[in-house]
Amino acid sequence: MEITFGVLLWAVRIAFLLLLYLFLFRAFGVLQRAMATERAQSKPLGTLVVERNPSRTPRVGERFALRATNAIGRDAGNDISLPDEAASARHATLEMRDEEWWIEDLGSTNGTLVNGARIEKRERVRFGDEIAVGRVAMRLER
Amino acid sequence: MTPSIASNLRSLTLTIAIAFLVTSFGVGYWTLVASDELSSDPFNPRLVSALRDRPRGQILDSAGGVLAESVRSADGYLRKYRDRTLAHVVGYASFKYGTAGIEAAYSDSLVGQDPGDPLAVWRARYLGERDVPGAVVLGIDPKVQKAAVDALAGRRGAVIALDPRTGAIIASVSYPNFEPNQIVDPATEDLAFQQVNGNVDKPLIDRARAGLYPPGSTFKLITGAAALENGVSPDTKVRVDDPWQADKSWGDYYVRSAAHAHADFTMADAYRLSENIYFAKIGLQVGGQKLAEYASRFGIGAAPRCDIAVAKGQLSNTGTLDRPTLVADTSYGQGELLVSPLQMALVAASIGRGGVMPTPHYANEVRDSAGNTIRTIAPGAAGQVIRPDTAARITTYLVGAVEGPGAFAFGAKIPNVHVAGKTGTAENPAGSPHGWFVGFAPAESPTVAVAVIIENSGQGGVDAAPVGGKVMQAALGR
Amino acid sequence: MTLLFRRPSEMRLLVWVAALAVTGSVAVAAAEKTAFDRSQLAVPVAFIVLAVGLHLFLVVRGFRGDQLLLPMAAALSAIGLVLVQRLASSLLANQLQWTLIAAGAFIATILIPRDLTALARFKWMWALLGVALLVSPLLPVIGREVNGARIWIGVGRVTFEPWEAVKILLVIFFAGYLEEYREVIAHPRRFGPIPIPPVPYLLPILAMWLFAMLVVVFEKDLGAALLFLGIFLAMLYLATGESFYTLIGIVLMLIGGVVVYHAFGHVQVRVDTWLKPFSEDLRFGAGYQIVQGLFALANGGLFGAGLGNGMPDRIPVVWSDFVFNAFAEETGFAGALALLALYLLFVYRGMLIALRAPTPFLQLMAGGLSFIVALQTLVIVGGNARLIPLTGITLPFVAYGGSSLVTNWILVALLIRVSDLTARVRGTE
Repeated sequence: MEITFGVLLWAVRIAFLLLLYLFLFRAFGVLQRAMATERAQSKPLGTLVVERNPSRTPRVGERFALRATNAIGRDAGNDISLPDEAASARHATLEMRDEEWWIEDLGSTNGTLVNGARIEKRERVRFGDEIAVGRVAMRLER
Repeated sequence: MTPSIASNLRSLTLTIAIAFLVTSFGVGYWTLVASDELSSDPFNPRLVSALRDRPRGQILDSAGGVLAESVRSADGYLRKYRDRTLAHVVGYASFKYGTAGIEAAYSDSLVGQDPGDPLAVWRARYLGERDVPGAVVLGIDPKVQKAAVDALAGRRGAVIALDPRTGAIIASVSYPNFEPNQIVDPATEDLAFQQVNGNVDKPLIDRARAGLYPPGSTFKLITGAAALENGVSPDTKVRVDDPWQADKSWGDYYVRSAAHAHADFTMADAYRLSENIYFAKIGLQVGGQKLAEYASRFGIGAAPRCDIAVAKGQLSNTGTLDRPTLVADTSYGQGELLVSPLQMALVAASIGRGGVMPTPHYANEVRDSAGNTIRTIAPGAAGQVIRPDTAARITTYLVGAVEGPGAFAFGAKIPNVHVAGKTGTAENPAGSPHGWFVGFAPAESPTVAVAVIIENSGQGGVDAAPVGGKVMQAALGR
Repeated sequence: MTLLFRRPSEMRLLVWVAALAVTGSVAVAAAEKTAFDRSQLAVPVAFIVLAVGLHLFLVVRGFRGDQLLLPMAAALSAIGLVLVQRLASSLLANQLQWTLIAAGAFIATILIPRDLTALARFKWMWALLGVALLVSPLLPVIGREVNGARIWIGVGRVTFEPWEAVKILLVIFFAGYLEEYREVIAHPRRFGPIPIPPVPYLLPILAMWLFAMLVVVFEKDLGAALLFLGIFLAMLYLATGESFYTLIGIVLMLIGGVVVYHAFGHVQVRVDTWLKPFSEDLRFGAGYQIVQGLFALANGGLFGAGLGNGMPDRIPVVWSDFVFNAFAEETGFAGALALLALYLLFVYRGMLIALRAPTPFLQLMAGGLSFIVALQTLVIVGGNARLIPLTGITLPFVAYGGSSLVTNWILVALLIRVSDLTARVRGTE
């Protein structure tokens, strides 16, 4: 009886270690699947679609997938680069806050327009609104 | 542009991952690498608990007498030692001062986890079940041991006797010794350890296996063997004129004859009268390289494999014999030679056993708690060192060194038995010379080989020989 | 009925956690007496019920997003309960009570505030609250001094370490502040390659941080000081990406460390025992704890001495300061590695949640919270394994300690909320 109890105890101890590792591997598997699902299913936070542009780039109809924070301007380092003379090098920032989109003008020469009206500093934009930077007009969509 | 928070997150995560990796290495170091060292730290409560809470196995001599055992005391088990003269061999097991001797070498066996019984090891490790410990049986023969102790009679030095057929050590005395009971008793341990550790006479050292001395004339066993196998004819007479040097380049160095001899010597004469100049001459004839090779065959400069560690010794400071003066000096046993008594006993045993060197061991078997033998310790021979005919010849000369006219080793004579042996007087720069004796008996087919050293003895080897004789007599009387 | 399976991965993982909790508890209970005591099983069962309850709560609320954090926090807490049962069974009831409170705090954090971003709006309030909490142990009535450190407050028999809550408040405050002023701080004027930080903008967070440091140094809680410093530097790096700031910060910390070493005796002791714990004069005194801790690690080997089979109880205060070593002694390097991997996976998941968060504030907050867990684990395990000096921080979820448990579960709730918000905004599950 004593020997079997000893063996049983030993088996329980081994089981604990085994379960720990199995849990670890399982959790890792869940993580992998979650990452794959998230990548596959993820819709962009938002899109800017070019509606009007007198110059050739960006083309009308081109879609920019938005991140949490997007820098817009003439400079090539911007997230959305608009090589338009009327746009300032660093013109505006389109940012998501509190599940809402906000556009902030960074002190540009010609200002930023939302639905035709020039904004003061920061303004909320909703899906369907039109944003104009320089001579390029873009619509915010899902 | 500003690097996005996303890329910063990625770099930070990478840094964290690396930090975790480094930490795992750190943890791995303590659990896997430094594990052994810490586990045997005497202050590790796990070790203390193992020593104190459970009885440790007995250590027995070859007749079954108890040399060490665990007795119950007020706070756990205490180790008790019965024979102080075997303190160096049996050792001690103290919570505070660690383990030594057989207590250390067979520590696992004494707690019931001998490697020869894997089931017990498994049960202890994984089931937490500790077997009642078994016993370790030594080869020490109590009668021979007592004879050795009495013969040494409290003089500084060592006696070691072994069975050349098996390598089992049947007696070992080293003086001065110490009282191991005081070291393991918590009440006296600190004072006792301090005293023995700080004692100038170094009682903690087992002179039999760890004391290193110049071998003196006992080395001639090796020189003679080397000569015989390298073209020296034993019957060719060699002229001896005291003092001697090969040429003027030797400067002030002369080989001196103990008897101030001016005569012709054969090898038999040279052994009988221990003639240094003869051996210096034939040593030079053999040459430094060959002599070194034979010395190494006999284990000089190396430590023999043994269950308790034996000191290494040396052939010379550099390990080679590159100068003629050194070759000459070494040939008759001085030079820069350092050997242990155990090593010389093995040399003698090899000669007696037809050139086969045995592997020494203190323990003979390990038993379990029921008395059944789990494991026998019987390492085979270490190898054939010299040819059997060489060994036979040397044996004849060694018998002459004991029984012949004017023999220095006459004190080792045993009635009705042919004893082979050689005395030695080792020059000691720090004081009066040490006295050596090595020998074996019966010469035709020895059952005992012995080495004796008496430090700073008055008459050198002549004092040591009777000790050897008495020990061998006791061994033969069994 | 199918509604119950809205979070299937979480449920499946919780089954494993349950098995782990029961197995561990049985192993410990059986090792103590050679008989089997059924009543000991009540603890893991109660815990499993609690964990399942939290899972169902999330299901009922329709929570989307991450399904990994809750089971992992539960696994770690379960291991913690097993270890408390092993090391200090008299404290087991207490730990279970705190686990209950932590679950309550978890639920409360899920429910309020209604809008995560409100957290950003009220950042100055959090800063003030943090200050108040930090100072509270120094107040007369409710402040308590324990073992020479004045870091506790107590009401009646219940004691709490407020700095644990402050670490979360600090992250939220920094996240809010850095989001707002990120542009300016992240584009400093440069003097060649070296950025000149815009001091006026950095001043508020520097001031807040400095205050926190001084208070904890004054309260003799160096672990908290180290944690606050790490949080500050990490969040600054997350927001700006300027490794230069981090470098300066570390240099300043080392200088500060040297100053503090010479100024405070107890710091000297900590550093000396770290450098030479086995030295004759330290190993039986100040170094006794770490020496015993290392002995425990050495006894672990690869697979451990077995749950209930080692001697971790020889380490003083093992249940809160050295749980890692106790776990490593009894489950070996294999177990210790798995535990570290569990923490790394937890942090990794937190960072992934931060990556996908829709706004900078949420990204910074989630990143900061994950970093707290990482840093806490690294600092305490580092101290336990003698890689760095020992501090008084506890191993998250596992070590005995109510305040730590409650705040860490609040942390988990916040991360889950961020993940849920991201899922809703991005339209994923």
